[in-house]
Amino acid sequence: MEYSNPEIPEGINTSKGHPLKEFIWLTSGVLASIFAVILLLVVFVDALTSYIPFSVEKEIPLPEFEVGITEGPLPEYLQSLADRIIEVEGLPDEMDITVHYVGDGTVNAFATLAGHVFLFRGLLEKLPNENALVMLMAHEIAHVKHRHPIKSLGRGLIAGLALSVISTTAGDAVISNFLGEAGYLTILKYSREMESEADETAIKALQSIYGHLAGAEDLFKAFQDEKVGLEPPEFFSTHPLTDDRIAEMRNAAEKYAQDNKVTPLPSEFKTWLLTDEK
Amino acid sequence: MMVTNIEIVPGKRITKHLGLVQGSSVRAKHVGRDIMASLKNIFGGELVGYTELLQESRDEAIARMVEQAEAVGANAVLNVRFSTSSVAAGAAELFAYGTAVTLEKM
Amino acid sequence: MIDLIIFLSLLALGYGFGRHAENRHYASIIKREKKLRKLPAIAARTPTELSKPNDSCLVVGSVVISVDYFKRFISVLRNLVGGRVTSYESLVDRARREAVLRMKEQAQAMGADLIFNTKFETAGIHQGNGNQIGSVEVLAYGTAIIPAQQN
Repeated sequence: MEYSNPEIPEGINTSKGHPLKEFIWLTSGVLASIFAVILLLVVFVDALTSYIPFSVEKEIPLPEFEVGITEGPLPEYLQSLADRIIEVEGLPDEMDITVHYVGDGTVNAFATLAGHVFLFRGLLEKLPNENALVMLMAHEIAHVKHRHPIKSLGRGLIAGLALSVISTTAGDAVISNFLGEAGYLTILKYSREMESEADETAIKALQSIYGHLAGAEDLFKAFQDEKVGLEPPEFFSTHPLTDDRIAEMRNAAEKYAQDNKVTPLPSEFKTWLLTDEK
Repeated sequence: MMVTNIEIVPGKRITKHLGLVQGSSVRAKHVGRDIMASLKNIFGGELVGYTELLQESRDEAIARMVEQAEAVGANAVLNVRFSTSSVAAGAAELFAYGTAVTLEKM
Repeated sequence: MIDLIIFLSLLALGYGFGRHAENRHYASIIKREKKLRKLPAIAARTPTELSKPNDSCLVVGSVVISVDYFKRFISVLRNLVGGRVTSYESLVDRARREAVLRMKEQAQAMGADLIFNTKFETAGIHQGNGNQIGSVEVLAYGTAIIPAQQN
C-alpha cells in the first residue's frame, strides 16, 4: 500500500483576478444602483404628491411652534408683503400663507406644510432694505407654490425606508453609514434643484412687484456674512453655493430691466424687532 | 471520478493513496433573497432561495475537490465529509474533503 | 466629509497590509508544504497496514486568522449583490492549509510518517453584536501513526 502526498496545484480553492478590480467593479455597481433606485423613488413620490390637494395638507397636524406670533404690527406688515407676493406669484385660491414671526436670534427662515412660513429675528435683522425682505418671503412662498414641503416629506419617508433596508443588510456600522450617506447625498442633489426653482420664481415675483431686481443680492450677502469659515463643498449641501445663487441673480437681472432704487424698510421696523424679543 | 463517503468500496481495491483533497466555496446571499426570507419569516414555508444558494455552493465545493483529485492523478475520492460554517456576516463556507485514491477492480 | 476620509483610509490600510500579509503567508505555506511532502495526511479512518507494530497519537493543528477592513467591505457589497465572496475564499484556504501544516509539524516532531482520519472544524469568531465576524478559526486533527523503532 503506497501512501503518497503529491503536490496540489494552487488556485483551485481561490479565485483568480485582482481584488482591486473586483472592488472597483462592485463599488461602482452598488453606488450606481443606489443612485438609480433613489432617482426612481423621487420621480414616483413627486408624481404621487401632486395628486394630494393642498386642502389635505391643512389636515396634517403640525408640531406646535410656540414661539411664533401672528398678531402685532410686525406680523401684520409681513403679512401685507406676503399678500402682494401671493397675488403676483399666482397662487391658487385655496393656498393661504400664514406668516409667523419668531423672536429668536437664529439666522434662518423656512416654509412648511399648509402654507406656514416662519421668519426668524436673526435673519430679519440682517436685511438692509425691503427688496431683500420681499426676496426672502417670495422664495419661501415659492416653495409653498411648488408644493416643496410635502414633496420633501414624501421623498424623505420613502428614501429613508429604502436606505434602511440596504443598511440592515450591511452588518458593519461604518459601512452601512457609508451606503446610507451615498443615498443621502443623492437626495441632497434634488433638494438643491428645489432651491434653485424657488429662487427663479422669487426673482420673477420681485421683478413684478418692484420692476427691478436691485436689493435682492443683499439677501444672499446676509447669508455669506453668516458663514463661519469655509462653505462646505456644494456636493454636501442642501442649497446651491451662495456665490452661484448671486451669479444666477445677476444673470436674471440682465434679462430684466435695471433700475437701481431700492425701497427702504418702514422706519418702525428696527423697533418692532426689538420690542418683540421674547 | 467516483465520489463516496465509504472507505472500503465493495469489489474494488485501493492501489495508491494520494493524500487529502479539499474543496471549499464561500457564497453570499443578495438583497432580493434577504427580503424574501424576511417575508417568509411572517408567512412560513421553505426558503427556496437559500436552499438553491447552498446547493449551488455545495456543488461547487465538490467540483473543486474533484479538480484537486484529478490534478494529483486519482480516480476516486473516498471518505468524503462536509462542513458548513459561517465565516462572514451573511455568507456561509461550504467545505468538502476526502481522500484521493486510485482504485482497481479486485 | 470626515467620515468618508476615515473610511477610505481604513480601506487603504486594510488593502495594503492585508495583501502584504497574505502574500507572505502563502510563500511560507508553499515552502513548508514542500518540506513536509513526505508526510501524507489522509481522511480514511482505518489504517490498512497493521503488520508493523507502531504507536499512534492524536495530533492537532489550529490557527486563527483575522479579516482585514478591505475584505470585510467586499463581503458587505457581496451581501447586496450575491455571488462568490472571493476575499474570504483565500482567507479560509490559507487558514486550512496552515492548520494542516501545524498538525503535520507536530506529527513530524513525534517521528510519525502518516496521519489518519484527518478532520476539520471551522468557526467564525464573532465581534460585539454577533453580526460581525472578526476572525476565522480552523482546527485540523488526526491520528499520527509512528512506526516502531527498529532494534
